[in-house]
Amino acid sequence: MHAAFASARIVVVATTSDIASLVSAVGGDLVQVKTIAPPATDPEEFEPRASDLSTLSDADLIVRVGLGYDLWIDKLTIQLHRPEFQAGGRRSVDASTGVPVLEVRGRNPVTEDGHAHGLGNPHYWLDPANADAVTAIIAEGIIGLMPAARDTIVANRNRFLATLHERIVAWMQQLAPYRGTALVAYHNSWPYFARRFHLNLIGFIETKEGVAPSVAHLSSLIAVMRQSGARAILQEAYEPKNLSEMLSARTGVPLVVLAPTVGSVPEARDYLSLMDFNVGALARTLATASQ
Amino acid sequence: MLLAAPFAASALFVAIHANFGLHVLRRGIVFADLALAQMSALGATVAFAAGHAPTSAAGIAYTFLFAAIGAALLTASRVIPKEVQPEAYIGIIYVVATATTIVVVDRSPQGAEHVKQILVGSILAVSASDLPKFAVLYAFIGAIHWLVRRPLLAASEAVHSKTGRSLLWDFVFYSSFSVVVTSSVATAGVLLVFCFLIIPAIIGSLFTRRITYVLGIGWLGGVAASAVGLAASFEFELPTGAAMALAFTLMLVIGAVLRGLIFAPAGGRRICIRIFLRAASAMTLMTVLLSAIWLMIMPRADQPMLDLLQSATGIGPATFLAVQERAVYVEALKDAGYRRSQESQLTTLERQSRWRGDGLSETEVRRIGSFQQTFNEMARGDDFVVKSLSGRARERERWYVGLPLLITSLLGLLILLPSKWRADPARSRTVCLRFLRAFLHVADFVRRLRGEKTEPAGDAMIRRSINGGTVSAGPEALTGGCQKTTYGCPDP
Repeated sequence: MHAAFASARIVVVATTSDIASLVSAVGGDLVQVKTIAPPATDPEEFEPRASDLSTLSDADLIVRVGLGYDLWIDKLTIQLHRPEFQAGGRRSVDASTGVPVLEVRGRNPVTEDGHAHGLGNPHYWLDPANADAVTAIIAEGIIGLMPAARDTIVANRNRFLATLHERIVAWMQQLAPYRGTALVAYHNSWPYFARRFHLNLIGFIETKEGVAPSVAHLSSLIAVMRQSGARAILQEAYEPKNLSEMLSARTGVPLVVLAPTVGSVPEARDYLSLMDFNVGALARTLATASQ
Repeated sequence: MLLAAPFAASALFVAIHANFGLHVLRRGIVFADLALAQMSALGATVAFAAGHAPTSAAGIAYTFLFAAIGAALLTASRVIPKEVQPEAYIGIIYVVATATTIVVVDRSPQGAEHVKQILVGSILAVSASDLPKFAVLYAFIGAIHWLVRRPLLAASEAVHSKTGRSLLWDFVFYSSFSVVVTSSVATAGVLLVFCFLIIPAIIGSLFTRRITYVLGIGWLGGVAASAVGLAASFEFELPTGAAMALAFTLMLVIGAVLRGLIFAPAGGRRICIRIFLRAASAMTLMTVLLSAIWLMIMPRADQPMLDLLQSATGIGPATFLAVQERAVYVEALKDAGYRRSQESQLTTLERQSRWRGDGLSETEVRRIGSFQQTFNEMARGDDFVVKSLSGRARERERWYVGLPLLITSLLGLLILLPSKWRADPARSRTVCLRFLRAFLHVADFVRRLRGEKTEPAGDAMIRRSINGGTVSAGPEALTGGCQKTTYGCPDP
């Protein structure tokens, strides 16, 4: 029976590479995963192209990040005139279902900052414990299309989660000495990460998406950093570095480049190595900073 | 201080760019600077896409290579057929450079951010260690320009004549120009480099023709503008590069006014001042008049003049509401602030729980999220009440504030009218009547468009909440039962 279904693969299109990595962890050989937003770009700034339409039209299932992070997928699905791909449709999975959302704001996905953090902070995959909920909803979506493959999917998911939970224990041990450390980030992508590893994010360099921070904001940030004894500046791999480097030079706080999505640095090939890289890089920087 | 290094860098940039700006103005090729800056930006972008840091040796090499290509293209402008205007040629170079930049950067991750940064620059990120490098480079180029100043000036002036055009000096000019622009565009951005180049040179030229004084006055003006721009960006939380560009323009306006005052013919100074004051007051009165007319026509739209009045004197919508409405208004304002503070308290609580104590369970996080959403929605409901009531107050305010302002500004303008108009009352009268008729037509049209006879939906809601939920017999107002809540009924 497995042999008969092994050749029947469904095409799952994920909006970002993190979701794609989780989909292939759950689906294994039964799914062919494609990603729309290229790995090294900022998906919040992504503008879809004509070629993405054809990728989407071949899909059996679409998995989105939700929470206003990838609103552009709606533009594409509307153009395709396929209502089952739109939010709530039969072939659409919103990976944020069941995830406890941090920094909830309201019902409008776009805020006054022009930033898609209006519903809540959308960077929930950076908390490895949320992978439970995300893989569950993905598994549900795939099983809905391939009911006969249910056992395989569930087994894949359990295997993945077993590995993940072992690693979570190791990661928490790595960052345990730095519990409560004050950190500054370039962009507000790290609340879920901070919650899992007990870190204290005291400020952000970029307050409005794509707009350079004002001098007054940078001065007050420097003052806050000195006052709270910030130990590192978290820099996303694809964000411009010059302001962070200036801040680092002025305050003596080291800069650490982290990967907010799979593929944004070469070491982050999939979800597990993404978290490995982030935890390792942060632990190394904080270890040298405390010496 | 955070602004010290950017200020010093600006002073250096203005010093060297003013010199080139002078030549650019003499040659009449203002947009060549933009084209050249954009070619440098293209070079920086190609370096960036190839994985080199902009300040590394490879980065600088790429930037200079493309700037040199741009310089060669500009030098070659003499051989373009005369049907193609020089400015068109330069504009095309600029557009091609910009489009190529976007195509190149499209493939690399930091795409849009990089293009924006190249335009606006990041002068804030300049560090004190970069300053000596700039100083040395510009001193070197400045020394060369000083040594060959006569042939260079002759070549610049000769651009418009048929004889005396020299390929060698053109090339010297354009290549030193590209070196300077290469060095500054990565730090200051295309916008600011344009300002540094053109505006100090113009300010200087307004006052004298002697080169040294032009450069001196231009440098002083540029330094003052940089200081004002940086201070404004600090005080008003503006993006630095854009604020500085605006400050440069302001300095140019001030320079023009000063020139008018200083160089007036003997005894004519008083006349000049009088003309200036008259023009300034006419402009102010015209602005007040137009704002008053806008207020009369569309009281519920944004009213910048009234907002200014409110921040200056505290006379706001609350003054023009009935007692009961005012209570609701004040209550809604207070409540909005209270809900937002409750929401931010929860955010702080959640943030601190991450590392203090045992942390929150998932259920608790969900509950907090649900409360945050509720508080936000309540605050937005309050905002809606405030906005509706403000609209109603503005409708009243237009008679008490708008109409007097309208009449006073009209009278003021009539007084300021040139005497030849006053001498011909018939003509003034026909003009005024025509204006009044046109105004009444427009007002009537707008009123019909908005159906002002019908009560706006927001007011119906407020009225119902004040009257305790009973739907009064208003005109085409909202019908249908609805549950009474503190915030009135949901939108129909």
